Amino acid sequence: MVVLLDSVPYGDMPTTRTLQEVERFGLGDTMMQNGKVIRTRPSFGVLIVLPLLLSLVAPIANAGAAQEQATGYAPEDIWSDDYNNMIFPWASANDRVLQFKEYHSYETMKNRMLRLAEENPDIFEFHEGMNGGTNARGEEVTANAYEGWYYGHASPWMKITADVQDGDYNPFVGDNGNYADRHDVMIVGNHHAREWMSYTVAIMQLEVIAFSYGNIGYDNDGDGLIDEDPWGDANGDGILDDDGDCLGLDASFQDSNGDGTACGPGDLGVDEDYSEQFITDLVDSREIYLIPMLNVDGNIYDREVFCPAPAWESCPSGGWRKNLRDNTATGVTPLPDLQEEVDEDCDGVDLNRNYQFEWGAPLGATGPLIPGTCTPAEGELDGSNNDVYNGPVDDRDNDGDGQINEDHVDGKDDDADGVTDEDWWGGNSEPETKFIQDLTEMNDDTGDGSSEFKATLTHHSYSELILYPWGHCTDCQSPDHEQLKYHGQQMADMTQYSNLQSSDLYPTSGDFCDWHYGVHGSYCYTSEIGTAFHQHEDDIDHIAVRNLGTGFYIAEIADSPRERADLEIANISQQNYLAPGDKVEVPEEGDIPVDLCVANDFPYSESNSMIEWRTVKPSRLQSDYGPREWATTAWESVPVKAVMDETCSVPSGNGTILRGMVPISETATGKLHYKATVSTLAGSDLFQYPSDGAYYELDLSYRAAYGSVIGSFLMFGITASFVWGGLAVCLRMMLSDDEEAIDLTDALLEEEKK
Amino acid sequence: MSDEGQSDQFNGRLGLIFASIGAAIGTGNIWRFPRMVGANGGGTFLVPWLIFLFAWSIPLVIAEYAMGKRSRTGTIGTFRIFAGKKFAWMGLWTAWISTAIGFYYAVVSGWTIKYFQLGISGALTGENVDTTEVWNAFLQSPGQVIFFQFLVIVLTLAAIWKGAKAIEKVNFYLMISLFALLFLTLFLSLWMDMEDGSLDGAMFMFTVDFAMLKEPEVWINGLSQSAWSCSAGMGMCITYAVYMSKDEDTVLNAFTMGLANNSISIIAGLAVLSAIFAVSPDPLATVTGGSSAITFLALPEVFAKAPFAPIGPLFMMAGFFLALSFAAMTSMISTVELCVRNFVDHGYNREKSVALTGVALFMFGIPSAVMWIKLDSEGVAFPEFLEVQDHIWGYGLMFSGLFIAFSIWKYGYLRWKSGVEAGVAPPGFKGYLGFGVSAFRDDFINTGDNDMEVGRWWDLLMYLAFPILFSVLMISYFSDMIANTPDVWDPTNPKGLSIILLFWGVIAALFISFNKFLIQRPLYRNIPEGAEVDISSLPGGDDDLVVARGEDAPGFEYLTVGNSA
Repeated sequence: MVVLLDSVPYGDMPTTRTLQEVERFGLGDTMMQNGKVIRTRPSFGVLIVLPLLLSLVAPIANAGAAQEQATGYAPEDIWSDDYNNMIFPWASANDRVLQFKEYHSYETMKNRMLRLAEENPDIFEFHEGMNGGTNARGEEVTANAYEGWYYGHASPWMKITADVQDGDYNPFVGDNGNYADRHDVMIVGNHHAREWMSYTVAIMQLEVIAFSYGNIGYDNDGDGLIDEDPWGDANGDGILDDDGDCLGLDASFQDSNGDGTACGPGDLGVDEDYSEQFITDLVDSREIYLIPMLNVDGNIYDREVFCPAPAWESCPSGGWRKNLRDNTATGVTPLPDLQEEVDEDCDGVDLNRNYQFEWGAPLGATGPLIPGTCTPAEGELDGSNNDVYNGPVDDRDNDGDGQINEDHVDGKDDDADGVTDEDWWGGNSEPETKFIQDLTEMNDDTGDGSSEFKATLTHHSYSELILYPWGHCTDCQSPDHEQLKYHGQQMADMTQYSNLQSSDLYPTSGDFCDWHYGVHGSYCYTSEIGTAFHQHEDDIDHIAVRNLGTGFYIAEIADSPRERADLEIANISQQNYLAPGDKVEVPEEGDIPVDLCVANDFPYSESNSMIEWRTVKPSRLQSDYGPREWATTAWESVPVKAVMDETCSVPSGNGTILRGMVPISETATGKLHYKATVSTLAGSDLFQYPSDGAYYELDLSYRAAYGSVIGSFLMFGITASFVWGGLAVCLRMMLSDDEEAIDLTDALLEEEKK
Repeated sequence: MSDEGQSDQFNGRLGLIFASIGAAIGTGNIWRFPRMVGANGGGTFLVPWLIFLFAWSIPLVIAEYAMGKRSRTGTIGTFRIFAGKKFAWMGLWTAWISTAIGFYYAVVSGWTIKYFQLGISGALTGENVDTTEVWNAFLQSPGQVIFFQFLVIVLTLAAIWKGAKAIEKVNFYLMISLFALLFLTLFLSLWMDMEDGSLDGAMFMFTVDFAMLKEPEVWINGLSQSAWSCSAGMGMCITYAVYMSKDEDTVLNAFTMGLANNSISIIAGLAVLSAIFAVSPDPLATVTGGSSAITFLALPEVFAKAPFAPIGPLFMMAGFFLALSFAAMTSMISTVELCVRNFVDHGYNREKSVALTGVALFMFGIPSAVMWIKLDSEGVAFPEFLEVQDHIWGYGLMFSGLFIAFSIWKYGYLRWKSGVEAGVAPPGFKGYLGFGVSAFRDDFINTGDNDMEVGRWWDLLMYLAFPILFSVLMISYFSDMIANTPDVWDPTNPKGLSIILLFWGVIAALFISFNKFLIQRPLYRNIPEGAEVDISSLPGGDDDLVVARGEDAPGFEYLTVGNSA
């Protein structure tokens, strides 16, 4: 039965009905207005028979109109049933786990990853931990160094890139599909065991990639439109619901996720129809290292032992956070002690305090526990002080110079020996953090010794935040502060979360992002998903949907996050311009070319850029005594094409001409309104020209011939014989008929004489 | 002259025709028609425009003449007799709409006289004349606008002071001059257009674009042009029919009037388009532009380039605006007469009525002349109050036409019912179609005075085409307005729908409640000797207070004296 259901192709969704709905629904506001118009138009009967009644009830009609305005569509009027019920297309409706109605366990997640890798061998390669070998620090590492202390699993992860079986093989990491020209991005979930949404969002991204890759033009919401509402505010109007479908719903349906925000992220109809081309392009041009569940040990313990199901009831405000390092049995060096039960008061290391950069720095750091003193002092809460334990001090002489901890990891050469950060104080002591460390340092496709991961993202729970470095210091700013803040804001806009410097929430040291940014210069973000550690299972799907865009955003900017931010911050996009009305040359015949000049260093995408246009004609309501009145048509769009043999100039130099051919008939008169939308590389950033909501105007003159000689002769003949001929006949009848009647002229003349 | 207690009549047929044509021909023919041709694909527009002349304007005019000829009263009396006592307010509505339009039409007529004065004095033909500046300066000086408005009213009152015979004479001279002036303008325009090698203006005006004929827009515009420019259904023809001689041919008159109206439109259209095509680099943009804009801004510029300078431009400018002012004046005359006729019908002294109407026209026209003079986005002044007035009352006119159709429908139904009771009409729906539907035509149109028998086609047009076309006009108008006007339901928006409905509602409610007072007044019919004016079969026929002029109305004997004094 399940197999049968599974084999039902998702494409069979009933789209024909919704197509009509969409036609009626149209392209957002204008058409919405039209829809409103249709409903408020008084019926003919009322008009013809009771103009009076109508007028008397004008104020009521007014109120009625206001009410109509508020009444909108129901979800079933617009979208497919599956979409309305958040049934995802990658699994049968009753598979609660794959439908994100229940949480994955480690086991189901791993099995799903294996299955997806098996079904999509061209883009997915499944891994657990790494092979090991000699790492970047010259240490010999074996594969089991990455296995959890307690249950012994290495973190499962997926290598995602097109033709993943080709490319270079990395013997240390064990992955194929390493390409020097593809930009790498790392997305990590579940540092903290109890933060279940943090791995769920990563798995959903995996599902979406598997489903969307190459599936171009898929209609995600079944409304008949394609890719009409990508993540974030694509059209720059400040509204996430770019196609206006959610906003067109009746108000009672607009907050489908019940978070109190109408048509916010995660609501039905918001960012619901992203571009499969965009995702495909990303997979083709990026290597995505997706590690949904870093802390497998902790997660299993949290799920199976610490918080009996349902976890959101047994652990409403807590849960197991750390990994399962056995702090009581081990001294300074970790000695796994599988026989011993987990000592909840004492065991575990907070993985997100265990990275080496500024490890244990005074602010926000929790000093290492002294072995054997786990039991909290009198008056302290049980284990409360342990939750952010950052791991044991490393008293080895890491660089073999006879000194210990003389140059901790802070990006500076503390001992002035010409080598930076070579003898750290602690950190990266855990299998999980070591895995991240070695993956980062050993995945060197280009062989230049620096990290390939220019952008990194780690999911956490909860607080609805996007955090960017630094975390280890307060009242401090990183050198890339503005740029980091910029991308953070983009993701915050997408999720409607708050964008903060990490330490402005609270100072932390040794976290993932400080290390990635501080040591490897990677633009690293922490997303704090949702509103609880163990979010209620009813909320899994929509919270995951709400946070889906960030993983793709980070992948998109992984080519050059700093330049991308600079581009925006320095407003290079503002150098681009659309030819104003007086610069458009209207040809004698055919379509009117409208040129857009794009700065050469602006990463435009031809396929997602367009010229939008509409015509404006003198309205039929033209009054005989007032100024001319205009009536506008709905906006339409034409694609643009780069013109090869011409250039245009922008303030910074030469630009490329993108030309759209606007189809205006030669007999048209009136005005043309036009504006342009320019998309960056992969279509997630859209810029409007001349500016948001504005447009240029071009007077249209009649270009066709004024008529044909023969045709006009013919029509003149017909008209003249009808009108003048008819008039002559009438006058003749009148006069001949009335021989005896007084000739008026005579009569008047006679009267004059009188 | 009209004081013998006898009826007031036109001298002859041509007098009636000229008066009717004068009423029909107005600024709509000369400044609206060319714009519509330009905006609707040239010759393409002529197709619906011609069709609707025969499908809408002429049938309605026939009905008006027939009604007026039988009732021998103005609009109020006609509806009192034809639609019944309860519906005399329809006539009041018709009269009010026409008069309310007259309030601002006098102002507009004043503009045309001002422009004639400017034209003849050469102020528009000199070097570096900025027509926008001239226009704005004029419109923004209240004194001038009011002066010319006043002038128009004085001239109009002088023309109609003495009743039908004077109206006849004035219309005759003005119309003949109008033809002559328009032909002069046309000649000069064609000359101008020929100078650049081709008659492209004329060619455009007569080339049909068959693809464009599929556009509903063109048909709706053709219909509205037909409906407005001919004055059909506005009560003008009811009013002038009062002065018809007893055996006047209503049908022939209707055709003559409709065709003459369209003839003038063609001549004016050709003259304007040829001139614009001759000199304007983008003639269609010029012609489809604003409304007053083209007449008072573009045309003077165009005419200034007429051949045979300096005398040609002067002739063309003065001639055109004189023609325009004649067209406006003759329409003004019919407007005032319509109002005055209704007073006279109810036993008021003609001179007093004329004077009262004149004062009212002047007083109520002043706001349109001077209030809310604004600048549009292109820096051209326009009178917004006047525009709002036009907006409100222009479409109110449509209901006057509907009321006429209503009277016809009602008469047909009642006649059939009483016919069935009397055993002369076949019962059932078929009987109704055969007897009732044609009753109005049989009883009032085909009276034997006509050269042409009006056939079944008229019934079809009145019963089928009219309601359909009326709905199309109304629905397209309101849906356009709702779609294109921001804040259309806001009652404070002068261009919105609520204000129209409010004005209509208030006026209609007022008139309906006034109806009972209206029918307590006697109604004096202007009956020529020997005319067949039996109204006993009509809903309002059984009314002691409806009497012939000079007769006594029971209880109002004192009025008979005043009436004939």
